[in-house]
Amino acid sequence: MAQLVGPLRKELADSLSSCRVLVVGAGGIGCELLKNLVLTGFKNIEVIDLDTIDVSNLNRQFLFQKKHVGKSKAQVAKESVLRFCPSANITAYHDSIMNPDYNVEFFRNFQLVMNALDNRAARNHVNRMCLAADIPLIESGTAGYLGQVTVIKKGQTECYECQPKPTQKTFPGCTIRNTPSEPIHCIVWAKYLFNQLFGEEDADQEVSPDTADPEVAWNPADAAARATASNKDGDIKRVSTKEWARSTGYDPVKLFNKLFKDDIMYLLTMDKLWKKRKAPLPLDWTEIHQLGVFGYIENYVKTLRSQLIEKGEGAELVWDKDDPPAMDFVTAAANLRMNVFSMNMKSRFDVKSMAGNIIPAIATTNAVIAGLIVLEALKTLNSDFDQCRTIFLNKQPNPRKKLLVPCALDPPNPNCFVCASKPEVTVKLNVHKTIVQALQDKILKEKLGMVAPDVQIEDGKGTILISSEEGETEANNNKFLSDFGIRNGSRLQADDFLQDYTLLVNLIHSEELEKDVEFEVVGDAPDKAPAPNVPEEGKNIANGNKDSAQPSTSSKAAEDDDVLIVDSDEEPSSSTMETSPESSNRKRKHHDADTDDAASKRKRLDQQPADDDEDIIALD
Amino acid sequence: MTDHKTSKEQKYDRQLRLWGDHGQEALENAHVCLINATATGTEILKNLVLPGIGAFTIVDGHKVHWPANHCLVFNRAQAATELLQELNSDVSGNFVEESPDKLLDNDPEFFHRFSLVIGVQLPESTCLRLGSVLWDAGVTFLVCRTYGLIGYMRLIVKEHTVIESHPDNALEDLRLDQPFTELKHHIESYDLDSMAKKDHSHTPWIIVVAKYLEKWYSEHNSQLPKNYKEKEAFRQLIREGILTNENGKPEDEENFEEAIKNVNTALNPTKVPSATEDIFNAEQCENITSQSPSFWVMAQGVRDFVRNEGNGKLPVRGTIPDMIADSDKFIKLQNVYRDKAMKDAAVVSKHVEALLQSVGKPPESISEQKIKLFCKNAAFLRVVHCRSLAEEYSMDTFNKDEITSCMDSTDSEMVLYLMLHSVDRFYQQHSRYPGVYNYQVEEDINNLKLCVNSLLQEYSLNVNVKDDYIHEFCRYGAAEPHTVAAFLGGSAAQEAIKIITHQFVPFNNTFLYNAMSQTSATFQL
Repeated sequence: MAQLVGPLRKELADSLSSCRVLVVGAGGIGCELLKNLVLTGFKNIEVIDLDTIDVSNLNRQFLFQKKHVGKSKAQVAKESVLRFCPSANITAYHDSIMNPDYNVEFFRNFQLVMNALDNRAARNHVNRMCLAADIPLIESGTAGYLGQVTVIKKGQTECYECQPKPTQKTFPGCTIRNTPSEPIHCIVWAKYLFNQLFGEEDADQEVSPDTADPEVAWNPADAAARATASNKDGDIKRVSTKEWARSTGYDPVKLFNKLFKDDIMYLLTMDKLWKKRKAPLPLDWTEIHQLGVFGYIENYVKTLRSQLIEKGEGAELVWDKDDPPAMDFVTAAANLRMNVFSMNMKSRFDVKSMAGNIIPAIATTNAVIAGLIVLEALKTLNSDFDQCRTIFLNKQPNPRKKLLVPCALDPPNPNCFVCASKPEVTVKLNVHKTIVQALQDKILKEKLGMVAPDVQIEDGKGTILISSEEGETEANNNKFLSDFGIRNGSRLQADDFLQDYTLLVNLIHSEELEKDVEFEVVGDAPDKAPAPNVPEEGKNIANGNKDSAQPSTSSKAAEDDDVLIVDSDEEPSSSTMETSPESSNRKRKHHDADTDDAASKRKRLDQQPADDDEDIIALD
Repeated sequence: MTDHKTSKEQKYDRQLRLWGDHGQEALENAHVCLINATATGTEILKNLVLPGIGAFTIVDGHKVHWPANHCLVFNRAQAATELLQELNSDVSGNFVEESPDKLLDNDPEFFHRFSLVIGVQLPESTCLRLGSVLWDAGVTFLVCRTYGLIGYMRLIVKEHTVIESHPDNALEDLRLDQPFTELKHHIESYDLDSMAKKDHSHTPWIIVVAKYLEKWYSEHNSQLPKNYKEKEAFRQLIREGILTNENGKPEDEENFEEAIKNVNTALNPTKVPSATEDIFNAEQCENITSQSPSFWVMAQGVRDFVRNEGNGKLPVRGTIPDMIADSDKFIKLQNVYRDKAMKDAAVVSKHVEALLQSVGKPPESISEQKIKLFCKNAAFLRVVHCRSLAEEYSMDTFNKDEITSCMDSTDSEMVLYLMLHSVDRFYQQHSRYPGVYNYQVEEDINNLKLCVNSLLQEYSLNVNVKDDYIHEFCRYGAAEPHTVAAFLGGSAAQEAIKIITHQFVPFNNTFLYNAMSQTSATFQL
């Protein structure tokens, strides 16, 4: 072991054995990282992961074996590492890093934090905690053959949220419910259906025809037809899909007839939708057995129903792509809907990939990235921040024969809504249509990454709009913002106590948001020009290895899977940027001046994803 | 049995999406030999055991101590084999407790049985000896080395064929410049002028381009739009075809927009890419024997197709990109391409069958499926030839140009290559690497400098190696830091998988990694 620290300076080698580091995540990168840390001489390591071990982890997460399936990742990782390095002092937490127990004080226990995460929400959160505690953070991610590592240090480098990340594709509700045009729309619908029938019901995951579709624009004559049509499904509309399904005893034939026949006939009455589109074709139960394997939906429904009954009264199933009955059900339902809308059906393998946002993952890429992380960690502990790099791993050596593309770290974005000294953000919304609950859940939590916000209105009185204490402001939840005197130009102060983060939110009232858009984040502060909408290519931290069963089940967590790694081969700046910081700065400037080019590239990549397996499709 | 299959599918799900069932099968049929289970060696093997390589054999004569108790001594080969096997019960692990030199003395044929031999931290003499045995036996050899903060890999394979090279930006194979009969008929079945608006805006862009191309031909002597100006005029021609509403404003026809956007790539002349042409002209393609690998038999089959039925063109690939169209029209168009691809592949099959028969092999020795895959990838075939180690080291054949031209730029990774050679030279003279013992570092710096100079002199290299590198390499003391080993373990296993699955193109032939600056480079040496 002594030989291994040979190339390190003595002070650095000594500091390895005395310092304390935190590894967030014990998955693909985490396993490799823990091994590299102890073998490099790190002694005091804490590791946290809320996940348990799944069979599909075993092709790369080498600290786990078949006998460990179902157990805590953090705990088993610790035990496996201690087997080959008994002298290490490892603490394992089977928990979410977003739990309030892990406050700024907790983060201050460490000299260094290393992320080995698979989702953006947790990455945002750890970024903020490290900024608040002023602890350096090493951020990393992999997707298939691609990977990247970067170093974040408060005040010296960009933070994780300095550059806008490309948002994942979302689909308007009426596309999912009324007018699917691509297989992915049907797959999203089928996942919603699973939750409606067997899982947690969510009003945003309706599967029945959407009569409020602005495209439909009922006129009085149509309204009459609609009334007749909706009589047919009588009570169905008034109770929840789940209750109705339960009342029929999950009768597969009744379910089938409602979803693939009656609902479709109802859609047909919305004839405006079909003027320019090919109209859907209702299916007949007696005919579906001709559709081959998808006719087995009957069996899948029965299996899931008995699972539900087994779990007892009020139980809910959680959709998991690695759970065969759940996956089979979604495959069948999605394919039936594709058939209804005259699309080519998809194999189970492909549906799984899309429904589960599967990011291919292999041992080799994680090993490479974890190796790079430790090298950046050594420089960070030495406070050599000018030596630290953002490193991109390519699929194969690029045209300049480089497999690795190192780039100098950028200074913080002065307008960043997270790490600026007085963070501000501007949000455009309709104050008459946005309720407080939506402000809290969709804007502050989901979009702006807060965990438990407190919000007061800067109206001179300091009216409390949202309190993170339970029960204090619940009564406000369903009221509109305008009910509190909020209007164009109002300012809100949002605090997150856990993240030690205060954000000033400037509101712009707008009646002209696009259909299905509830709000838009338009920039940092109203007096500044909106931030350039061109995220730097190759600058996106990959969300790696999102294959844990649990988080990708709910639609909220699934959105985390939005990896859009752009092959840095394509990128003019980073591929020419590996020598001295001076030259890279020059290149960077050049690149900035060249945003048009970058924008068109981005567009092209978005529109024509290469026909590779590792293209990641993000949904809902 | 089926249970075993599904559990395997589950376990390997995330990687099957990269290399497919057939890639996995190739992996499971492979037997890899690792020489020296050092940090780098075990990292590489770990990354092959996890994805489910068929079998491995560790060759290693060293002993190890259990860190907590120095009295417990193990054979490194055995200890590593047992621990690696824990990672995946599907893999069969074997070990030989002997040094590679001894094996080379007593049983050089031992190494012939492997799909791939990975040599780690080998002294130069062993490396060259083993290299020549494997070169003669046609076994692929991957040399890996972690030296302080430097990583090095060298791939030695006489010939490596790749059917699925997974190119990044492949052009579609649409044949709009030379439509085949079935495509022509299909295009004729459309009449854009007499269509209802709904159909008009749901016609696939391929048809739109084809239709306006006919128009263009009639006005331009049947010549394709070639330069920018002509293509722009052609785009305008398409633009004018967009329907207008009652006010004379153009309608929103996304399929036409798509057609305009795709003009550039759609009009690319259909031709056999030069890399594929080179393969057709290769000697191996000319002289098929009963020993010929299936790649070359199929290559000749495709070549015969191109020269006869194909009229100079490769078999149709049979896939088209996603586009705006109603499903019915899209599927019909897709089928036109797909059916033609199947027909072409069937003709290639006939050629392959005849070839196999002519060399006395059963026609079914190459499956229909494999021929289809080959035809689909005919435009992306790759053959990698690496130079042997003997060629790299010989005074007459070493790649002086590459070395000197790289050394022109400061801090090229090439200097690391020269330094690795120099420490090998040091090893020859002193039977140890420089800087291994702290008290000798100063002395070693001078000696290593002499090695560098004698190396440059011997190869008449008029280049400058900075003293910094000499100090740095002495400082390394030939250590194998784990984190560098981890990096190299990932990279080397990735190359091993490329080689075993014959998918993606491996590097050719030298890879250098500098962990100090986080840079890397590949060279042909």
